[in-house]
Amino acid sequence: MINAVILVGGIGFVAALILGISAVTFAVKMDPREKAVLDQLPGANCGACGFAGCAAFAHELTQNENAEMACPAVNEEALQAISDVLCRELGGGTPMIAFVGCKGTPEKSITRFSYVGPHDCRAAQIVAGGAKACQYGCLGLGSCVDVCPFDAIHMGEDSLPHVDDLKCTGCGKCVDTCPREIIRLVPANANYCVSCISRDSAKDMKAYCQVGCIKCRICENTCPFDAIVVVDGNAAIINQEKCRKCGLCVSVCPTGVIEQLHVQAKAYIIEEKCRGCSICAQVCPVDAISGKPKEPYVIDQGKCVGCGLCIEKCPADAVERLSI
Amino acid sequence: MKTFKGGIHPPGQKSLVKDNAIVEMPLGSLFFVLTQQHLGAPAKPLVKKGDKVLRGQVLTEPLGFVSVPVHAPTSGTVKEVAKKVHPVTGLLAPCVVIEADGNDQWAEGLPLERDPFAMSAKDLLSVIQGCGLVGMGGATFPTHVKLSPPKDKPIDTFIVNGAECEPYLAADYRLMLEQPDRIIKGTQIIMRILGLDHAVIAIEANKPDAIKVMENLVPPEITVESLKVKYPQGAEKQLINACSGREVPSGGLPMDVGALVQNAGTCAAVWDACSRGIPLIERITSVTGGGIKEPKNIKVRIGTPLHEVIEFCGGLTDVAKVVFGGPMMGIAQYSPDVSVMKGTSGILILTHQETNIDTFSSCIGCGRCIDACPMSLNPSILSKFGEKGMWEKAVEYNLLDCFECGSCTYMCPANRPIVHFVKYLKTLQREANAKRKEA
Repeated sequence: MINAVILVGGIGFVAALILGISAVTFAVKMDPREKAVLDQLPGANCGACGFAGCAAFAHELTQNENAEMACPAVNEEALQAISDVLCRELGGGTPMIAFVGCKGTPEKSITRFSYVGPHDCRAAQIVAGGAKACQYGCLGLGSCVDVCPFDAIHMGEDSLPHVDDLKCTGCGKCVDTCPREIIRLVPANANYCVSCISRDSAKDMKAYCQVGCIKCRICENTCPFDAIVVVDGNAAIINQEKCRKCGLCVSVCPTGVIEQLHVQAKAYIIEEKCRGCSICAQVCPVDAISGKPKEPYVIDQGKCVGCGLCIEKCPADAVERLSI
Repeated sequence: MKTFKGGIHPPGQKSLVKDNAIVEMPLGSLFFVLTQQHLGAPAKPLVKKGDKVLRGQVLTEPLGFVSVPVHAPTSGTVKEVAKKVHPVTGLLAPCVVIEADGNDQWAEGLPLERDPFAMSAKDLLSVIQGCGLVGMGGATFPTHVKLSPPKDKPIDTFIVNGAECEPYLAADYRLMLEQPDRIIKGTQIIMRILGLDHAVIAIEANKPDAIKVMENLVPPEITVESLKVKYPQGAEKQLINACSGREVPSGGLPMDVGALVQNAGTCAAVWDACSRGIPLIERITSVTGGGIKEPKNIKVRIGTPLHEVIEFCGGLTDVAKVVFGGPMMGIAQYSPDVSVMKGTSGILILTHQETNIDTFSSCIGCGRCIDACPMSLNPSILSKFGEKGMWEKAVEYNLLDCFECGSCTYMCPANRPIVHFVKYLKTLQREANAKRKEA
């Protein structure tokens, strides 16, 4: 028994010695910053940066002085950490998330035939252009779900993909995969998006979908900020830079095709600060503010849409947002 | 008996319709003439809403050499030029809708009388293009293009394809039985165009009476060849291999080995076009399958809507799938408004029993598809690449040589839609190529 212990222990010792020596002699010299950067990257190897994976991009960031932050999935915290490691300021773009531009559930949009074959939207698309009567509608076979490296898209019970905005990093893999280009990237802080990309006229659309954009332009005419337009036969498009998130478009849309992504915090007036100048009441697009001159004004919480115009215009800083 | 390597033996199912003589379908009231009924460059409509058209009048102008016009199937008024469902792509495509006036009046000068054997090859070719002739077996490739091989690739073997290897269909069989002289004369015209002194009419051995009829009528320069009953015996490359022993190289065309194949129906149409100037405005097609009350071989005008054909054949019993073409390579239809095209060799109304609408499972590696493949490909691995969308790898495995005959899918015990995967991979390859060209 003692022989066995000596033998196995001896083999272990010799092996440890060899490994120890080779670890020192054959060590690959690596920039320690590279490891630090790699730790901060998401590690999904999605390839959205244009490199083979996170390690390759970390190498590029550390070795190339001029390399920009190309990872769309990195969050603000990590970006700061990487900037600290590299001792240079890295500009991060606006964080984006994926948005599915179709609300055509099987109940609300017509399917032309039953499709039998591979469970893949791109393969289904080649069979008579897909089973959905709307050529812009979601085929609902979930190719986007399959490619998502962050497990951020799931098929809902309504046969449409749903994006988990906490998990989505905006890498854009689903955007590339969708054969109908239904999924697009929107700023993560966007509040309202149009869930339809159809270029068909209202007359055509009526035959097959109840929840498509019918190009009625009511939203365009209603928007106080000119942020939503219906141009060139396209479905309504929201300019996220102009959008003040007032949500008026949602309330007027006859088909309910505009989707609200987050709840918008409403405004209230701090009585002590208000001088009763009435500027807020004048700028409010929904007439939610009322009051008498020289007396504190009041915001009707039932009417307020949270656009924040009053907050911006108040000379006395008397308007603030309620915390949600 | 002559044949090729690989292939399958699906049940013929031809008895449903093969003994029914060709009947002419009465003229309907509305015709949907799609402007693109051929492979190749599109054609531009020449008529507009409200125009009066006569039977045989040209409706479109071909844009390019690999393109043919379409003609009015009957006289009447153009109701609209709108987008209608195309039976091949399943998408909306430009279509001339003609409201028939019931007079069925021929366009001026039609049909004419002339001796095509006195015409030059060049004149004959322009007549063939002008009459809108395409391969009527289903591929719809313009006939005049096939008949104009480049100078460095002379054609020495001409095969008339009377194999009709697809199950169910019997349109070519009835044509050979009832109107053999049209086929033979058409064959002679094509021989004249190509300057050949010999041609072969190839017929599968399951049509002995057609072989006998042909053998009794053919002149000495044409021989009738009996082929082994096997699918896809009527596929161009397999037919050439069976009749001449030559193998069309990978990625090549039949003319690379000096061969040319024309469908029997196309030969008959060539005769009509050259001798009487009649454009391709009607064809013979088999309406068959377990789901139709009275299976028939009908002579039908191009542009007749599907629901009228079904009505003429007694209506439906049970229907799971409607297919234009044969059950192996045909294309499933979803709309009763699609119209008969130049390449519609059959209209199948299949019952639930006759179709196999089921889920598929993983490849079990049994290799039956490999034995069945007439192109000696490896369909099993192509289908696996298809599942992963790996088209580059599939191209290495000669993806592009697959002509989608469906033998592998028929044999697969795991019910895998192999042809669908192949079509998908080809689409990915085409898209990638287009993207590369753009960049």
